[in-house]
Amino acid sequence: MTNHWIDLRNSDCVLIMGANPAENHPISFRWVLKAKERGAKVVCVDPRFTKSASQADIYARLRSGTDIAFLGGMIKYILDNDRMHRDYVVNYTNASFLVDDGFSFDAATALFSGYDEARNAYDEKTWQYRFHRVDPDARPETMTPAQRTEYDRVKALADAREPLKDPTLQDPRCVFQLLKRHFARYDAATVSQVTGTPVADLERVYAAFSTTGAPDKAGTIMYAMGWTQHTVGVQNIRAMTIVQMLLGNLGRAGGGVNALRGESNVQGSTDQALLFHILPGYLKAPRASQQTLDDYLKVNTPTAIGRNSANWWGNTPKYMVSLLKSMFGDAATPANGFGYDWLPRLQDSGNYSWMHLFDEMYEGRIRGLLAWGMNPACSGPNSTKTRQALAKLDWLVNVNIFPNETGWFFEDPGLGIRPEDIRTEVFVLPAAASVEKEGSISNSGRWMQWRYKAADAPGDALPDAEIMDLIFHELRALYQAEGGALPEPILNAKWDYFREHGGHREADVRAIAREINGYFLKDVTIGDKTFKAGTLVPAFGMLQADGSTSSGNWIYCASYTEAGNMSMRRTREPHGIGLNPEWAWAWPVNRRILYNRASVDPAGKPWKGTIPVVEWVGDRWVGDVPDGPWPPLAAEGGRLPFIMRADGHAALLATGLKDGPFPEHFEPLESPVTRNPFNGRLQNPVAARFRGELDKVAACGSDQYPYVCSTYRVTEHWQTGVMTRNAPWLLEAVPQIFVEMSEELARDLGIRAGEQVRVSSIRGALTAVALPTKRLRPLQVHGRTVHQVGLPWCFGWRVPNDGSGGDSANLLTPCAGDPNTTIPESKAFLVNIEKIDAVTQSAHLLPRRRNA
Amino acid sequence: MEYGVLVDTTRCIGCRSCQVSCKNENQLPAEVTQLAGHDTGLTNPRKLSAKTFTLVQYHEVDAPDSPGGMRFVFAKRQCMHCDQPACVSACPVTALSQEKHGGISYDEKKCIGCRYCVWACPFGVPTAEWNTLAPRIRKCDMCSDRILTDVRVPELNGQELSGESRARIETSYRLPACVKACATGALLYGRRADLLEEAHRRIEREPGRYHPHVYGEHEVGGTSYLYLSAVPFDQIGFRTDLGTKPYPAYTATALGFVPPAVVGLGIVLGGLHLLAQRKAFVAAEERERAESARNGGETP
Ligand code: SF4
Ligand code: SF4
Repeated sequence: MTNHWIDLRNSDCVLIMGANPAENHPISFRWVLKAKERGAKVVCVDPRFTKSASQADIYARLRSGTDIAFLGGMIKYILDNDRMHRDYVVNYTNASFLVDDGFSFDAATALFSGYDEARNAYDEKTWQYRFHRVDPDARPETMTPAQRTEYDRVKALADAREPLKDPTLQDPRCVFQLLKRHFARYDAATVSQVTGTPVADLERVYAAFSTTGAPDKAGTIMYAMGWTQHTVGVQNIRAMTIVQMLLGNLGRAGGGVNALRGESNVQGSTDQALLFHILPGYLKAPRASQQTLDDYLKVNTPTAIGRNSANWWGNTPKYMVSLLKSMFGDAATPANGFGYDWLPRLQDSGNYSWMHLFDEMYEGRIRGLLAWGMNPACSGPNSTKTRQALAKLDWLVNVNIFPNETGWFFEDPGLGIRPEDIRTEVFVLPAAASVEKEGSISNSGRWMQWRYKAADAPGDALPDAEIMDLIFHELRALYQAEGGALPEPILNAKWDYFREHGGHREADVRAIAREINGYFLKDVTIGDKTFKAGTLVPAFGMLQADGSTSSGNWIYCASYTEAGNMSMRRTREPHGIGLNPEWAWAWPVNRRILYNRASVDPAGKPWKGTIPVVEWVGDRWVGDVPDGPWPPLAAEGGRLPFIMRADGHAALLATGLKDGPFPEHFEPLESPVTRNPFNGRLQNPVAARFRGELDKVAACGSDQYPYVCSTYRVTEHWQTGVMTRNAPWLLEAVPQIFVEMSEELARDLGIRAGEQVRVSSIRGALTAVALPTKRLRPLQVHGRTVHQVGLPWCFGWRVPNDGSGGDSANLLTPCAGDPNTTIPESKAFLVNIEKIDAVTQSAHLLPRRRNA
Repeated sequence: MEYGVLVDTTRCIGCRSCQVSCKNENQLPAEVTQLAGHDTGLTNPRKLSAKTFTLVQYHEVDAPDSPGGMRFVFAKRQCMHCDQPACVSACPVTALSQEKHGGISYDEKKCIGCRYCVWACPFGVPTAEWNTLAPRIRKCDMCSDRILTDVRVPELNGQELSGESRARIETSYRLPACVKACATGALLYGRRADLLEEAHRRIEREPGRYHPHVYGEHEVGGTSYLYLSAVPFDQIGFRTDLGTKPYPAYTATALGFVPPAVVGLGIVLGGLHLLAQRKAFVAAEERERAESARNGGETP
């Protein structure tokens, strides 16, 4: 979230799309309802009339996988009806920037300029800005004074890499005009044909949300996996971000782009880099061609574009060196590049995300897996492939708080491999649950909150950190004894967060929290203040690139200082806008609303009539922690608000994405339609795809698999349900897998409520209880009826242990996904639904639950 | 009937925190359920019982003028805590009684198992246990334990809390568990008079949002639980035929004669159930033994 949960209450219009927070983030509704009380409109867009929709003032349905069409229409509506916040757009976005003359988009082929067919990838050269330039052969000493003045002016701009701009936004080559032309095709009638949303509903949503383009109004967007799990996932978010930029909603109280994280600490897990492509604090993971620390820093430290850009990533060397010092301690020296060589390097174009890992595993190229706190047998796409991949491992370590399907994958009745033919050796390690250990979690609003241990873990269960410690010590002993290939990372790791306690080694989580914050390793003088070696670094502004500081994660620097563990703070704000600056701690540096410099005009005054977040008063900022100490943009030395971007501006046109600088509608990989009226291509040309024997994809418009299907969660169950299916009170509320469908479809198929039916995709099939509902209705798409169905993915065959819960909905989902993130497309795929003949096919029925 | 709970169904998101926290508070066993897919969809368990004191019912109501042409309404159901409770007046031994705060609670030591209350309640609330030889009558008692007994001084990491934190925890403890768990503020606990005033204020302020009726204000002479709804109450499963006359007035005569056979039947049914349970238990044990024999004598 750019903002935070409580801030939802400050909104004038809450758009819920690609998420169902009333179901999956129920506490958020405390704040949504408070916004409603203040007069906010709640708008919900979803294929299904959800619990969130039940609280909406405006509801519109759409077909799964058509969000870009829907939002493209909104962008066009804002531009056509002049609803944008012009001052914001001109000053804080790249709307006025002129773009390379080679940039183009061809609707016939749906390709942007720079597409390389052979690589199936884009070259971004033509997506760049045009810059001020001087003739390199010019001879200033021969110029007239007037020429010279002009030359010097332009040279200064060129030296600062200032892009050419047209603040009137009229130049046909400026980003704004390119954007306008791009979305001119997204008229409501065409959008409606594609999404199945009636035109009147589209216009109702567009009109309501675009009222927040008025400078005194703020609109927020709550989204989750309903947007990300698509072959156009990132571009879905991009489309919404463009809307928020045009309406001036970023950085504002009650505004922002708010990703609702699906687990209490998933924000923390990404912050701490539980992903292949990053290191802690979103530093990029080293690549093979970056052989030395210098190579790495050169590639990953951007230079500022323009004079007023803060270009925060310019600090990368300080953060990277401090991280290496934290990992390797004294062994990290300037002479050895601070141990950079000991970090694993990724192949330059290598992708090691989920679907690739399981594909490699299925192909027999990965021999071992630590499945730690997860249940891949049910959570990943195409479960059949995942489970068969597990059967090809030599060993599997399954760390969990309950026995799950992954650790017992060989018992899967549908696996098709006899247990005795499986050679995988499975180790099961019981882990302590979150309440059985101390530590912090970071919520969606980036708040790091300390939690205390409430109960002892049962039996042999240990906190994860202690399990890791045991493994680490065995590994280190082996490396010490045997040497082996590249022992240094393990031998040199700084590993001193564990202490002997009652005969075993216990994790000192507070020491880990301090390490994450970071220390001065030598006496360091900054300005007129000297920080003693061994003290905690007060904030990341003081981290150094020379090895004199450490920090396990620069964005968490300031979370645990000499003043104490900030995440333990529990003081409520007596009045104010909900920032609660002394409740826990938010990264970065306790900033509660990111990009808050965009909440003020260039003079540093809150946009007229708004809820102030920060304000420049005299010579300082008041309010939230501003995005950097500099004065407001218009003042001497002022800086732009979007400090993480090299040009300081929010990007209406963006580089760095694999599928283009503007979003464009494409159908999901499996779609009921066979044409795309917006362009001459049906699907995202660069989507992540797999071509193995189990990666089957149904043809678009398939008669065999005619229904659009989506997966989702229910309040009562958590992810694959390992934790909640084992909680009888929750299983009681939602005891088994169900498939929701419209009453019309149920009637067509002769299916009664509560009847068990067979749901199948080209990849797999399962049995589910049919729940016909008014909350799903047939959609009119390109003049014909399309049915949308959906089912939750929180079940597995093992618990409840009589099999009455059914199995994972991921037996149906495809291995295909977004080209940028490789998240799988679980939110839009094709299925068929059939009646089960209870007499001849009773073997397929879920067992009736027995009274225990 | 001094205190009560206002259930504003227009603020309820059907999260069932109240339902589950009630089970936790009263340590009630889970029921074995299946999805039956009636018109109430995901409602589960299907009705109030000796194992389920509070239940969120789901309703899909046609409403052409509402967004999406429908309403998706959730109603938390439990004992209404009548001002003049039929159950209390039906009980021959005062096992049921009205507490200071208005909750109707039950004393198993006094209960003789006659089940008059079960038949007397106009809302079908009290239920007898079936799986024990001395079945108790079970139902919501508006958390009289939480509200009427003294609170232990709250602690944080072994230290007694004081000041604002202590006050906050104490006040949040002195609430029915369901009200405390409610994320959205759909449940409001307070003096019934204040709640009534609040309910009418809400209707007045947003007439488009509410059906103009506070359920429980006058029904059966008034109840501690009060409801607000966007749609007429008969559309979300509430009885609207109960009238405003307190029920004891009817029950006194209607239940004046309950044949002892009814009482006996209850006991017999309870016994039969126990017998069935015992059989199931033995069968399960035998299965397990057979299985472990197959596994080489080791219990898995
Ligand atoms: S609802 Fe039924 S059980 Fe509850 S107080 Fe009234 S009569 Fe008694
Ligand atoms: S806890 Fe509140 S919002 Fe949730 S179901 Fe119960 S009454 Fe409704």
